[in-house]
Amino acid sequence: MNKKIIKSGVKFLLRHKLQSFFMILGVMIGVIFLCLTFAIGSSTEKQILDKMKGFFSSNNIFIMAGKGMKRGGPRSEGSVTTLKLEDMEAVLNAVPGVIRFDPMQTLSPCEVIYGNVNISTTIQGRSVDGEVVWNRTVTSGEYLNKEDVESAARVALLGSKIEKQLFGDSNPLRQQIRIGSVLFTVKGVLEEKGTDPHGNNLDMEVIVPITTMMSRLKNVDYIPAAKLEVDETKMAEIAEKIKTVLRERHSLNADVSDDFSVMTPVQAQEMVQKMKKIFTLYLPLISGVILLLSGIIISILMLISVSRRVSEIGLRKAVGASPKDIMLQFVFESVMISLIGGLLGLLIGLIGTWAIITKLGYTFYLPWQPIVLGVLLPVIVGILAGIIPARKAANLDPVKSLA
Amino acid sequence: MIQLKNISKIYGKAGSQQVKALDNVSLTINKGEFVAIVGASGSGKTTMMNILGMLDRQTSGEYYFENKVVSILSNNELASIRSGKIGFVFQKFHLLPKTSAVENVELPLIYTDHKDIRHMALEALNKVGLSNRIKHRSNELSSGQQQRVAIARALVNNPEMILGDEPTGNLDSQTGLEIVDIFQQMNRTGKTVILITHQQNIAEHTNRIIRIHDGKIVEDYRVQNPRNIAGELMKLDTMNK
Repeated sequence: MNKKIIKSGVKFLLRHKLQSFFMILGVMIGVIFLCLTFAIGSSTEKQILDKMKGFFSSNNIFIMAGKGMKRGGPRSEGSVTTLKLEDMEAVLNAVPGVIRFDPMQTLSPCEVIYGNVNISTTIQGRSVDGEVVWNRTVTSGEYLNKEDVESAARVALLGSKIEKQLFGDSNPLRQQIRIGSVLFTVKGVLEEKGTDPHGNNLDMEVIVPITTMMSRLKNVDYIPAAKLEVDETKMAEIAEKIKTVLRERHSLNADVSDDFSVMTPVQAQEMVQKMKKIFTLYLPLISGVILLLSGIIISILMLISVSRRVSEIGLRKAVGASPKDIMLQFVFESVMISLIGGLLGLLIGLIGTWAIITKLGYTFYLPWQPIVLGVLLPVIVGILAGIIPARKAANLDPVKSLA
Repeated sequence: MIQLKNISKIYGKAGSQQVKALDNVSLTINKGEFVAIVGASGSGKTTMMNILGMLDRQTSGEYYFENKVVSILSNNELASIRSGKIGFVFQKFHLLPKTSAVENVELPLIYTDHKDIRHMALEALNKVGLSNRIKHRSNELSSGQQQRVAIARALVNNPEMILGDEPTGNLDSQTGLEIVDIFQQMNRTGKTVILITHQQNIAEHTNRIIRIHDGKIVEDYRVQNPRNIAGELMKLDTMNK
């Protein structure tokens, strides 16, 4: 018996395509959002955590100029001139447990020219220790040496991708390239690293000695940040000592706050957690609200449908449908609609997510949450949204509805 | 088959303005009868039909259907009696829009345990002479054909009793007669047929006329020579020519 009622419900939905379409659309949009937020969230998170391992190991500390990493605030990098190379030397000498450091200085965008090829890219200033600190060496030629840095030599290391674009198949080593208006000699080609958490392609980077970067390319005497390798068993202690040393060197009074910030892996982890919260809590919450709204839309459309089908309901009752049968029919219609919307949303959502994530250059991880929720939630929404209209339909007085 | 004892139906709440649609009506209709309930609009005949069809409940009195007391049955039990024993034909047909004739006829069977509902629906359509219109949608049929679909729908469950509420009210006189002809045929196969109508000439095709006025039965008599439809249809035919 139920099978026939269900079949009759399916036929009704097929006959009333426009109404069905709008109800399906509501749920579909909700589930698409659910997919996007979950999938992009978890893929990005996984991506960031993976890259974090290369970028920020458990034995690294970052020192940044300025009051720095206030969440969501503007980054003051570049405009703060208080952090010097000498500060870092002092930290290395004065704080036990600091093994080595690599200062950071970036120039972007900057033209790199060889022959008639002209590419706009990012130039990084590095020291000798950059090879270890960043865990990135060369596949051909040589890395920067002490002399390069001390003499501010005009030598450059090329990322594997930009090397290909500039030189094609010919040997780049000892060739002359122009960075901005300065001539450099290619000293080596860097190993492949892919894309960093910010979406920068590291294989398009060019590395020059930090001193050359500061004196010849940027003409500055400060650095925005430095990456330190430290003894990870004394992380907190080291971070505190670094602060003391820097405060002393910058002659900061007790009532003045730091003009630099020190970030340890613990803090980095906290940042990731906060980011994770946005992706896995707030965004799904939004899609939940959208699903709720689509439930309300379904409910309203079903109520309208019930009032438009008053005489149909009266007739069904007259020919022998019990209130239970009518109730079942309407709840079924609403669940069907939601489920179709959910599955369509899932399909479109997952394909869309895959497209976006692949386009961003990230790897796509098929998340299980939206697949489960994308099926479960619409069914729940459908039942809840269907109950009120279905009750209304079931309780209609056949005499009045046939009048 | 049907027995009404002192049935009254009052609309409106106590204290406010009340309308007595049926006033102490008692009535017996036996199995196989062909009855017309006539009366002007507002006389209470539709209320009578709703109570007979178990779509509505009386305010007082007792209704026995096949010797069972109806008032103590639940809504679900009433639905099951309507499903198995009563067929309805309405003035406005009440076919499902955008739905084919055969699917309309199948509708009552959805709520039964019958398996081969398509076959049963086709058989019922055959009985009303619509075998060649089974796939047509309601809006593609003439009003006479729509009413035939509605009759087929009333017949499909093979009910004991067929209730027609002004079934010819929306039809021209010839089509109306054709429809009454079908009711006559149904009655000949042994079904109890009750027609509600305000048209005396339609009523005269039945075997018994019950007249209602102001909620009371004012007349209840046998029709000695029920009019013959075939002859009248022929007469109409020659008139048209």
